[in-house]
Amino acid sequence: MLAVIAIVQIRELTRIYQQGDIKVVALDRVSLDIARGDFVALMGPSGSGKSTLLHIIAGIDRPTAGSCRVDGIEVAALSETELAGWRNSHIGFVFQTFNLIPVLTAFENVEMPLLLTGLSAAERRAHVEAAFELVGLADRMDHLPRQLSGGQEQRVAIARALVTDPTLIVADEPTGNLDAKSASDVLGLLEALNRDAGKTIIMVTHDPKAAAHARRTLHLEKGELLKDEEVRR
Amino acid sequence: MSPAGFVLRNAMRNKRRLTLTVLSVALSLFLFTMLQTALREMSAPVETEDSALRVITRHRVSLANVLPVRYENRIRQVQGVEAVSKFTWFGGIYQDERNFFPQFAVDPDVIFRIFTEANVDPLQMKAFQSERNAAVVGIKTMERFGWKLGDRITLKGTIWDCNPELVIRAVYRGGIDETNLMFHHDYFDELMGRLGLVGTFWIKVRSPDDVQPVIEAIDRSFRNTEAETKTETERAFQLGFISMFGNIRMLIGSISTVIVFTMILVTASTMSMAIRERMREIAVLKAMGFNGLHVVALILAESFGLALTGGLIGCVGAWLLFSNVDIYKLSQGFFIKFEVTPHMLASGLLLAGLLGVISSLAPAWAAIRMPVVTGLKELD
Repeated sequence: MLAVIAIVQIRELTRIYQQGDIKVVALDRVSLDIARGDFVALMGPSGSGKSTLLHIIAGIDRPTAGSCRVDGIEVAALSETELAGWRNSHIGFVFQTFNLIPVLTAFENVEMPLLLTGLSAAERRAHVEAAFELVGLADRMDHLPRQLSGGQEQRVAIARALVTDPTLIVADEPTGNLDAKSASDVLGLLEALNRDAGKTIIMVTHDPKAAAHARRTLHLEKGELLKDEEVRR
Repeated sequence: MSPAGFVLRNAMRNKRRLTLTVLSVALSLFLFTMLQTALREMSAPVETEDSALRVITRHRVSLANVLPVRYENRIRQVQGVEAVSKFTWFGGIYQDERNFFPQFAVDPDVIFRIFTEANVDPLQMKAFQSERNAAVVGIKTMERFGWKLGDRITLKGTIWDCNPELVIRAVYRGGIDETNLMFHHDYFDELMGRLGLVGTFWIKVRSPDDVQPVIEAIDRSFRNTEAETKTETERAFQLGFISMFGNIRMLIGSISTVIVFTMILVTASTMSMAIRERMREIAVLKAMGFNGLHVVALILAESFGLALTGGLIGCVGAWLLFSNVDIYKLSQGFFIKFEVTPHMLASGLLLAGLLGVISSLAPAWAAIRMPVVTGLKELD
């Protein structure tokens, strides 16, 4: 279904990897729209192309053919340097393994994307504290990653994804390394960010329970979009 | 947190590796500074106002060839010459071969009119000049062997077939070199059976303007004789003397090159390891919006900081050490002074900085080229 105001517009998107003499079609002419304020789950078996689709939308991979526009910008047309700047202001990443920098405190990890923005130290502090308030970890800001539980680490990673107030939050298996309770907390947090703060979220997951937190689920198989289930809450 | 703070945290994450690398660089820069200082002390003798007025006449073929003593009178008659002294390298052994110090047979009445920087007590000077086998010794050599006035010493000849038995009658202080022992050329000539041979003539000219004319006049005077001369300034003479040790500049240059190359390998290896371990974090930084220039700046700053810290420890350590040790005693008289100059400190630090930059090139290039997706896949 086409969204009313599409923040992501994908048309005939194809991604082919060359592995030696073999061509691997990761995405095969995928077209879809994602509306501003949507929460989309991308599901599918391993190798279905869901992470590739997420990477192209987030501007860390380039398509072989087709178009991917985010907020009106043709992402693949940007140079590497332009793309890096674009990611800083438009994309917030949440990874399966958190990817916090171990030598920095939770506060400093969240502050990292803001170092590129030209904000003053006081402004950066205000943004970081607001992000910690949103994820409910204001009392853990001075902890190092190793002093936090897995669930807390992922909430810090979500705070880092939020701190620049990006257009999109992309999450690649955000609950893949968490126990059931922590996974539920993180999904609840993403859901609240979508519902209360209006954040547009695209999440790759294997887990139908995780996908159930999204407004809409897209299924991919062998690089093709299979069906588009819409869940309105 | 500032970008500099982030660089510092990264550098400190493996403290043992950091310490060993900084110490490797420090030790290498210490050796580099020491070798460059040694090269300078050996190959660039200091020129003073007094030494600029001294010229030396030697045999044209080499220092190993001697001149007839009769040349002295003709040299004295050259216009612009103020004083001439016979000056023959004796090169004897005092008790043990390791007790090296320079020894010369000279004209006692003239020599301190040529070496005007050296100060001798007038009474001691008189005693030195009036006694046939008297010697005057520089204060450093006096202190080195614990000698005092009136002590008797015997030098065993190695170049010359005689063993002068000397009595120390005077001590001199001042001048560039306070290590020499000088005794009467007449006594030396007597021991050698009046051969009438002289190693060199040391000459003082009246003014700086006289230096070149005197050099040309002396050499012209002895052209087409059985012992043609080569006359040169003191500085040129000392440089020629050093060259007798062989191509020291090339030797020290080769060692320094090996040191620098080793430093590059050590630092580059450390930086490569450090960055390879962090490829996934670099991928995350790039995903967050850090571009190639940011990543290069972070790696370069870390490598530069590491090398410069090692350089500071090595170069400043060398400067502090050599400013506070008695290099004359430590080198058993080989070096009179060993000054780490500001220029050498700056060269060492510049080298350290360059080392930091060069060492960061390969890991920085790898980090720039790595696609974000590849880096993230390594993580998972």
